[in-house]
Amino acid sequence: MAKFVLMLPHARDRYENLPEAEFMDLMKDYIGWVEEMSANGKYLGGEKLLADGGKVVTNKTGNIEVHDGPFAEVAEVLGGFMVIDAGDYDEAVEIARSHPHMKHNETIIIRQTDPAADD
Amino acid sequence: MTDRAAIHQLLDETVRRERGWLISSLVARLGPAKVDLAQDVAQDAIEKALSTWPYKGIPDNPRAWLRRVAGNAAIDRIRRSARELGLEDDWHLTAPDEDIITPSLRDPELDLMVLCCDPQLAPQDQLVLALKTVCGFTATETGAFLFLTEDALSQRLARAKRKLRNNSEELARYPTRFALKDRLPLLLRIIYLMFSWGYLPRRGSAPIREDLCREAIRLSEGLMARTPETVPGHHALHALLLFQSARTPARFSETGRLITLEHQDRALWDKEMIGDAFAQLGAAQSSPVLTRYHFESGIASIHARAPTWRETDWASISRFYELLSAHAASPAVTVNWAISLIMLGELDRADALLADISQVNQIESMTGWHLAHHKLAEARGDTLAAQAALEHAQACLNSAPVADHINGLLDRLTGPVSR
Repeated sequence: MAKFVLMLPHARDRYENLPEAEFMDLMKDYIGWVEEMSANGKYLGGEKLLADGGKVVTNKTGNIEVHDGPFAEVAEVLGGFMVIDAGDYDEAVEIARSHPHMKHNETIIIRQTDPAADD
Repeated sequence: MTDRAAIHQLLDETVRRERGWLISSLVARLGPAKVDLAQDVAQDAIEKALSTWPYKGIPDNPRAWLRRVAGNAAIDRIRRSARELGLEDDWHLTAPDEDIITPSLRDPELDLMVLCCDPQLAPQDQLVLALKTVCGFTATETGAFLFLTEDALSQRLARAKRKLRNNSEELARYPTRFALKDRLPLLLRIIYLMFSWGYLPRRGSAPIREDLCREAIRLSEGLMARTPETVPGHHALHALLLFQSARTPARFSETGRLITLEHQDRALWDKEMIGDAFAQLGAAQSSPVLTRYHFESGIASIHARAPTWRETDWASISRFYELLSAHAASPAVTVNWAISLIMLGELDRADALLADISQVNQIESMTGWHLAHHKLAEARGDTLAAQAALEHAQACLNSAPVADHINGLLDRLTGPVSR
């Protein structure tokens, strides 16, 4: 089996001013899916990212400089990522199809981790 | 129940229960002036749970998780505001001042309910505040209950909180024993609404929120045990809750479909609980004044006695609804009164009653109103009007089992193919 990272971007204002009942229904879908995948042994873990834009550390100018994340201008932000277990990209795509993110948002980016790193 | 449905129910129950518990226990520790802070902190913790659990899964003990997160946030907030206020760093969480005469009911939730029933607030504002603060209802749920739009509700809530804040000096104390007495009738009303919501939730897939029904009964019992004199109507209310709860085992089919009173297998009713209910009803007779709960538990007792739906004493029920309507008119009461008249064959009178309330704000969103029209049309043999009424009922905010029930009625009327 191989490990795949599912990155879950969403529109920057997706959850702003969402009525609580709606937010709750949405999250229930996500939590239900993760619980189900965990029960099947397919869910390996994940992290929710804070929506604060983060930091960028760069040495482009020769000195190390720290900037606030460039996310204030962008339309989409990365909400978080999940790691799943799948045989190949085909299976990973199948799993992504069933993800509630596809119902409530637009995009899932899938990347396989390099299995060599696990040995 | 599927795993997914079980998870949804667990989340619904946990969130609602914990919201009330967190707010009540924080207020009990930090003092009544901190209602706003307690509410914010509880809300933040719930939002945090809902947005991180999708990644981490539900923790082994969701309640402990929520309590820890909310507790830390509260400490954090107090420190911050303490600094702003120039208070020393070692400023600690304090219990309400010792010198305040608190007739505390020794149950944080009951205490907070008492606090929300501040007479400076309009009665409906008190209700909104208590339902939203103590019982953990969302704005949508509270609004649907009180026939308020969500906007109107949030305005009321904001106004109530502003008033509480402005009066926080006086409000920072529990009412004296004398003042407490005035607030108790409203507590009964809150318990009543809480139970009603659990008995037939307006949204979601759960056919019944047993947690809400149980808690309403628990609060009612607690209040009865802790108040030296019985509040007028309390025994009657308690009887009502028990009569209704006794029917629970018969209210749903094995597949979760709602079975209305008319079609329930009455052998499944909890006879012991009905016995307790009659005992409460007996105690209610000594009340110095009649309350709406007397009429409502009277109605419930007639149903409890009736061997079948047809053989029910509809004349008495209709009479009780008439009294209830004179005492505490509401669209729901009128609708039920009309149904009892339909059962008696007094169709024109039922029609006139329903027409009387057709201008009530938000009446179109009330499922029962449309279902009464359905019954009326059916009694008159008017299939088209019956179908139209059901279609209107379908468009209301219904929980899944109620929606199923309406679909079933429609299928019976039109055949499943045409839908």
